[in-house]
Amino acid sequence: MNNIWKSAKLDFSLVKPYVKTICFTMILPLAFAAINRSLLTGISFAMCFIAMTTGYTFSITEKNSMERLYGILPIRKSDMVMGRYLYMMIMGFIALIVSLIAHPMILTLLGETVGVFDFINAAAVGIFLFALYTVFQLPGYYKLGSIKGRVFMYIPVAGFLVTLLLITKIPVGESKLLFTVIHSPVLLMLFVVIFAAAMYAASILVSIKILKNKEM
Amino acid sequence: MNNYLEVRNLSKSFKGFQLHDITFTLPKGYIMGLIGPNGSGKTTIIKLILNMLKPTNGEVKILGFDHVANEQEAKRNLGVVFDSNYFSDEWKISQVEKSVSAFYENWNTQTFSEILEKFHIQPSKRVKELSKGMQMKLMLACAFSYDAKLLILDEPTSGLDPVSRDELLHILSEYIEDGEHSVLFSTHITGDLERAADYITYIRYGELFFSGGKDELIDGFRIVKGGREELSEELSKKILGIRNFSTGFEALVRTEDLKPFARLHVEPATMDDIVVFTSKRGELYE
Repeated sequence: MNNIWKSAKLDFSLVKPYVKTICFTMILPLAFAAINRSLLTGISFAMCFIAMTTGYTFSITEKNSMERLYGILPIRKSDMVMGRYLYMMIMGFIALIVSLIAHPMILTLLGETVGVFDFINAAAVGIFLFALYTVFQLPGYYKLGSIKGRVFMYIPVAGFLVTLLLITKIPVGESKLLFTVIHSPVLLMLFVVIFAAAMYAASILVSIKILKNKEM
Repeated sequence: MNNYLEVRNLSKSFKGFQLHDITFTLPKGYIMGLIGPNGSGKTTIIKLILNMLKPTNGEVKILGFDHVANEQEAKRNLGVVFDSNYFSDEWKISQVEKSVSAFYENWNTQTFSEILEKFHIQPSKRVKELSKGMQMKLMLACAFSYDAKLLILDEPTSGLDPVSRDELLHILSEYIEDGEHSVLFSTHITGDLERAADYITYIRYGELFFSGGKDELIDGFRIVKGGREELSEELSKKILGIRNFSTGFEALVRTEDLKPFARLHVEPATMDDIVVFTSKRGELYE
């Protein structure tokens, strides 16, 4: 079994006792979707909330002085870091899938119509926001730990508020490229995936560098 | 390969503390005690060996592998027990196995179960429900389950009752019986090593004071006792550490320096005596 996958599995086993709390963070945004009658709002909240749980692995590791366990395992530090990113991406993916199934159901029950484009649009925004929040969070946690780096837990909240503020100010009509991307589901998703991949690549490199230089 | 652990010229500088030029080797099939008072640098050495700290200078080879360049290979056959547990408190023992076993190709589930039974650890219990002694045994059980060739223990007996300490020493003696395993055992409770250790590395204030056979260390020093009037200036120069009483003194000297003390009462020194008397940086006890 690949060491990155083993490391991700170890992270899953760390958060196993906290599954109920994590599930709650996936259910809560349903209320926001219902109140705002908007799939986009619901998904955005869901990805914001799940991004806030990425610090769990760091907190549990710190609480139990588990950096010593990570220090003795026969695994490269880069694999450890990539394993944690993989764990976090899987959590984000699960949250997105759950939300993309549950939220349209709730909205349909409330009499709202959810079209295919709404669905793709919400998925793309969800991926983008989750990536945007977590690419800054993880290097922060690696650098400062979960206690000193608690401020990074609030990046999703701050990021969400900033997004809400900026989204109305984006000059979609003035840029032909932006207009085309936003109105084409395929291009929008492609743009989001490429942008997220680039951000993650940079974030992973920074985190690996931090961990390699860190003294435990 | 004859040496399971080779430490060469290892140095590390911190603000206010310096580990300076530590060199020692641990041969295959033996137990080495890493001794020294609190704050002498024992845990720093272990963290440097495990690549958890970056050395200022020096190199470490674990089972023939460089501990940085070949970290994965070096740690594949390495077991480590710290003074406190390093598993998640919430894990059940079965979860500990699930989480750790994936990293070791030669993990043997049957061996793990047998050792748990031998140590009276119930797999259904959570880590936080185990006593300190049991948690130490759980860390050992993991190391034994993938047949770690080299075991590093950092102050495993601190906080343990005498029965648990005795059990640990018995386990370690069994572990090296086949001549294929070695143990580096860091402790400031030197009594633990009198029985179990073959080699001793003594660190004093970040510097290597001695590394070699246990008997060589013990034979190398003697305790001399005498009246106050018998303590001449010539004798004082040979003394490594002294305790003065109203009626006389007792002092630690090197066996090779015993000649001037021939008329005084001489006793063998214990490891405790050697550590206590030499840990005052040459200052004399009053």
